[in-house]
Amino acid sequence: MDAVLSTCVYCGCGCGCYLHVQEGRVVGSSPSRNHPVSRNNICLKGWHLHEMVHSPDRLTSPLVRKGGRLVKAGWEEALDRAASGLKKCMTKHGSEALGVLSSAKCTNEENFLIQKLTRAVLGTNNIDHCARL
Amino acid sequence: METRYILKKDHLAPWLRRVAKSHRVVAPVKNRHGDTLYAEIDGLDKVELDLAGQPQASAKSFFLPQQEVLFTYRTGKGGYEFHEPATPAPATVYFGLRSCDLSAILYTDVVFMGRHKDPGYRRRREGAILISIACHQPHPNCFCHATKSGPFLEFGYDLQFTDLGTRFLVEAGRSRGETLISQWRPFFSEAAEEDVKLQYQLALEANGLFRRNVDVGCAVRKLAEGEVAEGIWRELADRCQDCGGCAYLCPTCTCFTIRDEKLGPEHGERLRCWDACTLEGFSRMAGGHNPVAREQHALKRRFQHKLRDDVHKHGRPSCVGCGRCVGICFGGVDIVGFIDRLSEEDLP
Amino acid sequence: MTNSINEIENSEVLLVAGSNTTEAHPQVARRIYDAVDRGAKLIVIDPRRTKLASRAHIHLDIRPGTDIALLNGMMRAILDDNLADDLFVEMRTENFYALRDMLYRLDLAEVAAVTGVDQRLWQQAARLYARARKSVICYCLGVTQHICGTNNVQAYANLAMLTGKVEKEHCGVDPLRGQNNVQGACDMGALPGVFPGYQPVSDPKARAKFEQAWGVRLPAKPGRTLLDMTHGGGNGPVRGMFIVGENPLLSDPTMDKVRETMENLDILVVADIFLSETAQLADVVLPAASFAEKTGTFTNSERRVQMVRAAIPPLAESRTDAEIVIALANRLGYSMHYQSTAEIMEEIALLTPIYGGIYHDRLEESWGLQWPCFDRAHPGTPFLHKYMFTRGKGHFVPADHQRPAESVDEDYPLLLMTGRIYHHYHTGTMTRKSAALNRECNEAVLEINPADARALAVRNGERVRLASRRGAIELKAGITERVAPGMLYTTFHFAEAPINRLTVADRDPGSQCPEYKVCAAKVEKLT
Repeated sequence: MDAVLSTCVYCGCGCGCYLHVQEGRVVGSSPSRNHPVSRNNICLKGWHLHEMVHSPDRLTSPLVRKGGRLVKAGWEEALDRAASGLKKCMTKHGSEALGVLSSAKCTNEENFLIQKLTRAVLGTNNIDHCARL
Repeated sequence: METRYILKKDHLAPWLRRVAKSHRVVAPVKNRHGDTLYAEIDGLDKVELDLAGQPQASAKSFFLPQQEVLFTYRTGKGGYEFHEPATPAPATVYFGLRSCDLSAILYTDVVFMGRHKDPGYRRRREGAILISIACHQPHPNCFCHATKSGPFLEFGYDLQFTDLGTRFLVEAGRSRGETLISQWRPFFSEAAEEDVKLQYQLALEANGLFRRNVDVGCAVRKLAEGEVAEGIWRELADRCQDCGGCAYLCPTCTCFTIRDEKLGPEHGERLRCWDACTLEGFSRMAGGHNPVAREQHALKRRFQHKLRDDVHKHGRPSCVGCGRCVGICFGGVDIVGFIDRLSEEDLP
Repeated sequence: MTNSINEIENSEVLLVAGSNTTEAHPQVARRIYDAVDRGAKLIVIDPRRTKLASRAHIHLDIRPGTDIALLNGMMRAILDDNLADDLFVEMRTENFYALRDMLYRLDLAEVAAVTGVDQRLWQQAARLYARARKSVICYCLGVTQHICGTNNVQAYANLAMLTGKVEKEHCGVDPLRGQNNVQGACDMGALPGVFPGYQPVSDPKARAKFEQAWGVRLPAKPGRTLLDMTHGGGNGPVRGMFIVGENPLLSDPTMDKVRETMENLDILVVADIFLSETAQLADVVLPAASFAEKTGTFTNSERRVQMVRAAIPPLAESRTDAEIVIALANRLGYSMHYQSTAEIMEEIALLTPIYGGIYHDRLEESWGLQWPCFDRAHPGTPFLHKYMFTRGKGHFVPADHQRPAESVDEDYPLLLMTGRIYHHYHTGTMTRKSAALNRECNEAVLEINPADARALAVRNGERVRLASRRGAIELKAGITERVAPGMLYTTFHFAEAPINRLTVADRDPGSQCPEYKVCAAKVEKLT
């Protein structure tokens, strides 16, 4: 069993949590003793951090709307559809008609890329996330 | 008198390397973040063993995992089909267990290997060889001298190591431990009388180094006699913030819950997971009624179980004095605070 | 936060405002409990009698949305008692006389009437706060989620500056950030007006820097905020959206309007780990990897940038959001290639001065670095504004009490506040998937005072209909003294009881934060 130190994904405290991995499955979560925030304890949400990772409700493949319904699709098809849809919208209504919502759940690196995509590729500053909610 | 041996520190790694050829080895490892955890050792040269510091968690999860698949099921035409997972329980040497953690395993043995034998626990436990290391530097929150589960053990171990500076004094408590020595006998020499005397001296010194004076006996007596004021339970419950951390971290807390997870339309699994009696959902019944008034008694059951019920049942409290729950409580109400409060009442 | 979480336990007076800290920020609450056990004094400003409020030495149970009035009252008490830090005010701040004049004009009887708090109580609190050497203010969304949120924050800052409780260790004004990486998302420029590191998009110099780095022309006009996108605003709603890991359908106010916008989009692309309420409306749904499957960094409330490490590879066919964005960018004709997320961080460090010294290899060797951290030699910054405010001198902005956007009336006589509870998190996309958390709490509960419950003949646990001018939901009533008579409280975690069907979309003009904490409502028995 491996213990991988990571950071809790819930509130803004930022506890250091170990994720315990067994045969490719995260089977436990526990606090770090020397981490300056967690100091060997985390809240109930942290202790059960691993439970949502393997939830049977996780999305397992891309979905594309066909005939009004979301159906399974391959990555190539889904990405093509996403890119062409955004491009079409941009050509038709201009960049200002596009909006991007980034996430407080994503990493810094991902947020950086998302705003870069918005500004440098989609050509708009219409980017926000739920900081105020 | 049992035979005592000496293992030079130079020979620890070579001996363990040989042991690891036929056993899985679990030992306290200081990782690159500075935390010490019991971990499976995959290559002795790649890890830093930490025999001085207390691991941040006990070895409980190796015997009672935080989450464990009991079986998977599939529904077919003929009803349910069940499959027990083929989780291997290899012969494992637990090296460097703290005395408190080893004592805790002896307690969980009583719970899971008593009249009803838990198959998973038994599989893991029967393949386990327990090697403890006597503590001669108790940690600031430790009080195992007050619960009689350390710092040096008299029994329960397969082998007990005592650090004598340049060498370890090794005591064999059981034949399984003795075998590990006889298999690689050239590494060990017989202990001289001064080694045994030195160990005795260290044990005496260790007992004097505890910073906490915890009157466990007083708490046990008061709980047995029902002398704990309702206001105390209420104050504890009011401060408890529902994290479950004390129970999860506790080496002797064995509460678990069982739930079924649907993995698809026709299959799923049954899981056993750690639980905590301090949580509201632990005792709530299907209809919504809760026999425990959480607002007043969130911690009552936990402390009563550890310091009253287990004394009644097994003759000793099931707190092993490891001190891990001390200082981690979000509401500042740990077992030591509780015990201190009861003993302070008697002060003039 | 201007301070570190661990500093809190060494403060002598803690003023906690609009924060149910025990439930929403357990680690901060842990420090508060420790501090109080060591003798610190606790002042809680909250309309509800939260767990923390019940332990407070002084609980100022103001009416929702009256923080400014209360703080003006407190500051007046400080002036009257000569407790202001005159030297600090003289040397380190500006515009004090405007504040002073406003405070001397203050009608104290009106403050008491508006806030509903006894004058002696707030005076006592003011003295306690001002006299201690180390006083810290922690506030949360109870302060910001008002139409006057910015002024509320300014009022707390005024109080801290007036008494010199800033620029020192264990003193400061600390907003508790609600989400694991909300700080980081802001730092990284996931905001309409700023590039990473709060460099304004309208600043030609900043723009030139990013244009050079990215090889394209960049728009100078600040973009639209979340509510502008979902609720229309001046330019009409947007026509195409790309949403990553957010669920605006459940989290945004007046949700029926959000649904309308989403349904009318030409294209909606959603990347998420679950099929959220928002994803169900999408044209394309991209399965994302969870935090356990990726490597990168989060920035916590105390500005600590720390590693997130992949414990397992992405599940099934999912991909990390970074991979998804890179693939989209390349398809849209912009070449984007990174070998690792460490390389992305190098670009962040290059372009973002406050992250200038933050690199993955440094984070691997430590418990993270607190920004500002300007270069590799910089050790990070545990508390901000040491000896000197970032902007130079602290600026007093006097503010007057402002009535909430909506008031109670005969039709909607009760005042509804929304917030979080301990066991769940935001729209529940993740926590509702956890068996243990669902066992502890699996249902929205409407907190109602016993007096109101009695008047409505509602029993504890009974299902009731809760309505505002914008919509209605059904949920379970929980009778408790935690809320005062005339007030209601519930959460927004549960899709079964989507409270944002009811909330108002009026927002603070500065921060664009909606007024989730005040909404006129009524409770009806189900027949």
